[in-house]
Amino acid sequence: MAINIGYFVRESAVNFRRNWVMSLGAVITIYLSLLLVGVSMATGFIVSEIVKSVEDKVSIQIFLKDGAATEDVEILQAWLLADDQVDTVNYVSKEEALQRFKEEMAGSPEIVENIRENPLPASLDVTLKDPRIVEDVVAKIKANETFLKICDRPDEPEESLKYGQQIVNRLFAFTRIVRIIGVVFVAMLAVVSLIFINNTIRLAIYSRRKEIGIMRLVGASNWFIRGPFLLEGVMQSLLGAALAILTVLVIQATVLPRLRDALPFLPVDLAAGAMIQLALVLVIAGVVIGLIGAGFALRRYLKV
Amino acid sequence: MISMRGVEKYYAPDVPALADVSVDIEAGEFVFLVGHSGSGKSTFIRLLQRELLPTGGQIIVAGQDIVRLKNWKVPYLRRNIGCVFQDFKLLPNKTSYENVAFALEVIGRSRHVIRTQVPEVLRLVGLEDKMESYPDELSGGEQQRVSIARAFVNRPPILLADEPTGNLDPATSLGIMSLFNRINKTGTTVLVATHDREMVDSMRKRVIALENGHIIRDQHRGVYGYGD
Repeated sequence: MAINIGYFVRESAVNFRRNWVMSLGAVITIYLSLLLVGVSMATGFIVSEIVKSVEDKVSIQIFLKDGAATEDVEILQAWLLADDQVDTVNYVSKEEALQRFKEEMAGSPEIVENIRENPLPASLDVTLKDPRIVEDVVAKIKANETFLKICDRPDEPEESLKYGQQIVNRLFAFTRIVRIIGVVFVAMLAVVSLIFINNTIRLAIYSRRKEIGIMRLVGASNWFIRGPFLLEGVMQSLLGAALAILTVLVIQATVLPRLRDALPFLPVDLAAGAMIQLALVLVIAGVVIGLIGAGFALRRYLKV
Repeated sequence: MISMRGVEKYYAPDVPALADVSVDIEAGEFVFLVGHSGSGKSTFIRLLQRELLPTGGQIIVAGQDIVRLKNWKVPYLRRNIGCVFQDFKLLPNKTSYENVAFALEVIGRSRHVIRTQVPEVLRLVGLEDKMESYPDELSGGEQQRVSIARAFVNRPPILLADEPTGNLDPATSLGIMSLFNRINKTGTTVLVATHDREMVDSMRKRVIALENGHIIRDQHRGVYGYGD
């Protein structure tokens, strides 16, 4: 068997050299499709990490209208604290809100400078013992009469509440769109890769038809004849997969730190475990594409 | 060794390439298959190799019903049948040695076996000095010897030859035929399809004559034919 494996590898390498333009085309299409798979997977991992962290520190902000009576605010605060689900309630005045905003926006002084009067409402920041029941608490708050009286926008009480679930929902909606677009592109590129591999293998079969004829003549087994071609398809795919993994690693090393700088409040990170999972998926997808593409060519063009 | 019963082969309806062919060839026989172009010689050979399946009838080769043989077993059948062709079918980018070795390599023989058997069979065909020559450096007769060496290196019990001397001059053809004779003496069943009249007449072996797909004559120590 030792000779056989050496033989297969040698034959596939020779084929690769002979038809390197076609092979390169196949490698590039596989690379691009797997890269898309990789990037959308990585995005998925990152977003789900973000969602998790957002859920962890989920809090409800209740915006209060300007000039709300202090006793009403205190009544609402006391009512909230009476609930077992509520952990803490903090009053944030208009001035404090502006101060926080200025700190967050320290990087863009032009925005801060343009603020003439304080546009920010005062708020009550509510943290919960269990982030998962945020919707229940929100529903209760909405039904509270004091809340309706002093909320920032009594006409649309919903808009006076800001809570993590909204961000989570928006993130989910966003990732769903990304995923759908990704799947469509990946499917199209997978078809193109299959066609490319099919063509390179067909050329390889054509350029070796004499050898194949003699192999058939002297009784080489069918799998022995097919082996080098299947291996060639798989090698092209693996090369594409390796390039895609490398590119994802490069993106991880260059783009992620910048993203982290740009979004300091979000934990943008790709864990090592996620990266391994991603690499595994790409390699397996590559092998599957290679085998199917080559197998298809063998069925159609190689009668053994 | 080879047995055909009522074999027929149609490529197109109404035009039989072979019709009602029944023949038995015993182990160790030397048989000529003669006839004009288009008489069905090549079809006969290709049926035995299971390149083709017959339209009807039964073919037994080396104890196996090759009509019913499963596709994946065909390679193992072919390891029992050496084949020689008019156009040699050598790989131009391989030396004589490599061409013969290739036949063993692709059926998974070990390097040790290849190293001992290839030089031996090249010596048998008289090419021990040309082992490192490429096909285009060899004469037609030498190329055919290489292809015979390749067909015989695995010591198959059956050797089929389709017009092996079709491209060669008479003197060279004689050499090739005597080589077949020598291989036949080792116990190998040899079947040679040819329309080389002088060769057939000089060898005085069993002759099966085909015409329009029918066997018209089957005689031992026969000759090519009567004036046609």
